[in-house]
Amino acid sequence: MTFLRRVPRRVIQLTCFVGAVVLVWPVLPWAIAPRVFVQASPFVALASSIATRSISLGVVFAVIVAVASSFKKRWFCLYLCPTGFLLENASHMGLRKSRWWDKCPPVGKYVAILTLVGAVAGYPVLLWMDPLCIFSSPFAVNKATNSISVILVCLGLGLLVAGTLVFGMLWCVRICPLSGLQDMLFAARKALWTRLTVTAPARKFQVARRVFFAGSGGALLALWARRAGAARYRGSDTLLRPPGAVPEDRFTGLCIRCNNCVHACPSKIIHPDTGHEAGLAGFGAPIIRYDADYKYCLETCNACTQVCPTGALTPLDLQPKNKYIIGEALVDNNVCLTALGKKECDACELACPYDAVKITWDEEQYIAYPVVNDKCTGCGACEVVCPTTPVKAIRVWTQKPA
Amino acid sequence: MSKDLTRRELMLRSITAGGLFAAGSLMPVSSALANQAAGQSTTQTDAHVPATIVDGKVVQPRRELPVLQKTSILVVGGGPAGTAAALSAKRLGVDVTLVERYGYLGGLATGGLVLGIFPLYDRDKKQVIYGIGEELMKKLDVLKFGIIDRNKAPVYPTIDAEAFKYVLADMVLDSGINAYLDCWGVDAIVDAKGAVRGAVFESKSGRKAILADIVIDASGDGDIYAAAGAAFEKVKTNIGLISRIGNIDEVDMAVGRGSEDPEHPVTGQPGTGRPSKGRVNDLNGHAGNSTPAPHVNWLNMKGPVGDALDVADLTAMELKHRRGTWGNVEKLRQKPGNEQVYLAETAPQLGVRLSRLLDGVKKLTVQDIRGGAKYKDVIGYSGAYANAPEFQIPYGSLVPSKVENVLAAGRCISTDFQVGDITRLIPVCWVTGQAAGLAAALCIQDRCKPRNVSVTKLQNLLHQQGAYLG
Repeated sequence: MTFLRRVPRRVIQLTCFVGAVVLVWPVLPWAIAPRVFVQASPFVALASSIATRSISLGVVFAVIVAVASSFKKRWFCLYLCPTGFLLENASHMGLRKSRWWDKCPPVGKYVAILTLVGAVAGYPVLLWMDPLCIFSSPFAVNKATNSISVILVCLGLGLLVAGTLVFGMLWCVRICPLSGLQDMLFAARKALWTRLTVTAPARKFQVARRVFFAGSGGALLALWARRAGAARYRGSDTLLRPPGAVPEDRFTGLCIRCNNCVHACPSKIIHPDTGHEAGLAGFGAPIIRYDADYKYCLETCNACTQVCPTGALTPLDLQPKNKYIIGEALVDNNVCLTALGKKECDACELACPYDAVKITWDEEQYIAYPVVNDKCTGCGACEVVCPTTPVKAIRVWTQKPA
Repeated sequence: MSKDLTRRELMLRSITAGGLFAAGSLMPVSSALANQAAGQSTTQTDAHVPATIVDGKVVQPRRELPVLQKTSILVVGGGPAGTAAALSAKRLGVDVTLVERYGYLGGLATGGLVLGIFPLYDRDKKQVIYGIGEELMKKLDVLKFGIIDRNKAPVYPTIDAEAFKYVLADMVLDSGINAYLDCWGVDAIVDAKGAVRGAVFESKSGRKAILADIVIDASGDGDIYAAAGAAFEKVKTNIGLISRIGNIDEVDMAVGRGSEDPEHPVTGQPGTGRPSKGRVNDLNGHAGNSTPAPHVNWLNMKGPVGDALDVADLTAMELKHRRGTWGNVEKLRQKPGNEQVYLAETAPQLGVRLSRLLDGVKKLTVQDIRGGAKYKDVIGYSGAYANAPEFQIPYGSLVPSKVENVLAAGRCISTDFQVGDITRLIPVCWVTGQAAGLAAALCIQDRCKPRNVSVTKLQNLLHQQGAYLG
């Protein structure tokens, strides 16, 4: 009997796992599949909706999951979660079989509270701990241009699997914020049920100490992180985010490092940040680097903005995406071949898809040099064709207020 | 004043009354120089009938033009395209006449000091331009200070202008081409059916005609096909003036050469920092680019937009550019290490980039080249330039859509403005010149019109002469 009950769960789990891979890869002709996959997590859907003050149609699945989980405890974890499936199998091969984690407090619940309160302040602090996002991340590995990127995109899932091999199911049972949220939903539904069905004297409202600390910690962290993010952006010259990115103070919080955008980019210019652009807060978040051969942010593409599950990259149609300012192209005349009379070169002017660069004759100095007008979006088309080396004469820099 | 006028009137009358001597006819360079003694002087009065004023309007009297030469193929323009056309056609044993406006061959590649030979390579750094161009570069290879950076893709070669003048003079003298220098082709000769039969040119010998079966317009400005009534697009773009500066260290910041050098000016200033917006940086003195001559750089100039068919624009550029170049070299001298820099020369010819673009059987457009269009009548390739990949050039872009017996070669072929900005470059002019020369020779051999030339035969000939067709 137990055997029969176990087999269907395995089958459902395996089906869901394969389905998840198909969605995230993505092999379907449905471009937004990776986004919808991650958005099916009620944790991501709830926190990002609060943080962006907007609701996307993709949260429908999350609502279904949330409702189901409030009736059957950890229903999502047991049947649907591909990360859970992976870790469960890892734990069977692992060193520890005992349920030693019972002694551990339910960290996941407080992570969820901290993040949700942070989301109210615009910065969902630990949103990146969502298991669906961690599952999605390694699929960007084929877009990794160097070994550091490979390590970065595989880091989350790799650590979870390794941790499970050593410590057993600690993550799933105690740390995962999605399971914590499900526990809260289940408890809330139960409490509500009791309240409605059993006539009992109204209980005095009491906030548990841990919940209070987690909540206020989330708010403080969020405010601090937003200040630090804004300051970091002001201080940076080379920080470029993908098109549609919300302002930097909220970006590192909203971005969950799912790497969907890295995977979606046909030009391979989006990379996970090793931390050198935006510090620890920006670790693993996408940045743009124009270093691949002739690869820039194509005027025919808005793929990255369509796959972001949290709205860290606002979904933009092609036209508004082509108006989104990634950065600003600036010219160093001390390197420019045309300004120095070194070559017959108008590569940047020819390459610009927006007519933003014009080689302009300066009658006073009696030289010509590229002048960038305000149609520039920082797409990098000019930078990648600029033939100077090792420093490009025209480069895209972080945009500064005039 | 009144005395002058009377004298002029007197002269006018005496000349219209009848010439005394016939003008001495010109002979091709190959034979003209041989039997002349210096110091011979004779008193002459020109048989020429000047323009006159009738009812306040300047009128050129109708007159017969002496025919200087009858030839099979007339090439107007002795630049890269014209010399390539003449040399390759002559090799098929056809009678070829070459007319050049300046006193040397090579056009912008020598007189314009456009010393950089690009675009030669495709995206994979493979050379895609061979044929006569490669042959010329091989001749430069064996000369000391003739050419540098050969076969170092993506760095392209740089030639020496004087070496190239020498190579072309040598080849043309040995080839048996009838060459006329200091001759400015000014008009087309068109028969009653509208087909081109030759060209008229001005020189110290006066206005003369050369009759030809096929005319190749390698004038750069399309002067001959325009005069013959072919449709064209007139474009305006930047006109500069290149110069050579001496006593300056070689500097190359393009991909490849010098970038590994720790002394390299840019390597020496890692990450030159964020340039300020809307402000022109002070130039740090690394001007120009190395040439085969030691410590001599060629200094390119973009120049302002001008009309290359307007003598007022051209004059303004000639004068202002020379003043501007002198000023820039003075500024350059103020930079430490550059105290001894001097201006060696400004180019004899203005750097006219584009003026007329033919309306040909096939107009090559930027969409064609971006889409990697392939042509059955391909006559060669242009290398990759900036973000444009290497592309095929069809024979149809050399043939005017309506006028017969004329072919375009060089920068004035049938392209749109953006493609013209690539096909105007030196090695691509070699490609179109060679193809035009061979096509004209085929017209003579097969007694056909340029638009009816057998593409297969043309491509075979190009192959035989070492051209690359993919």
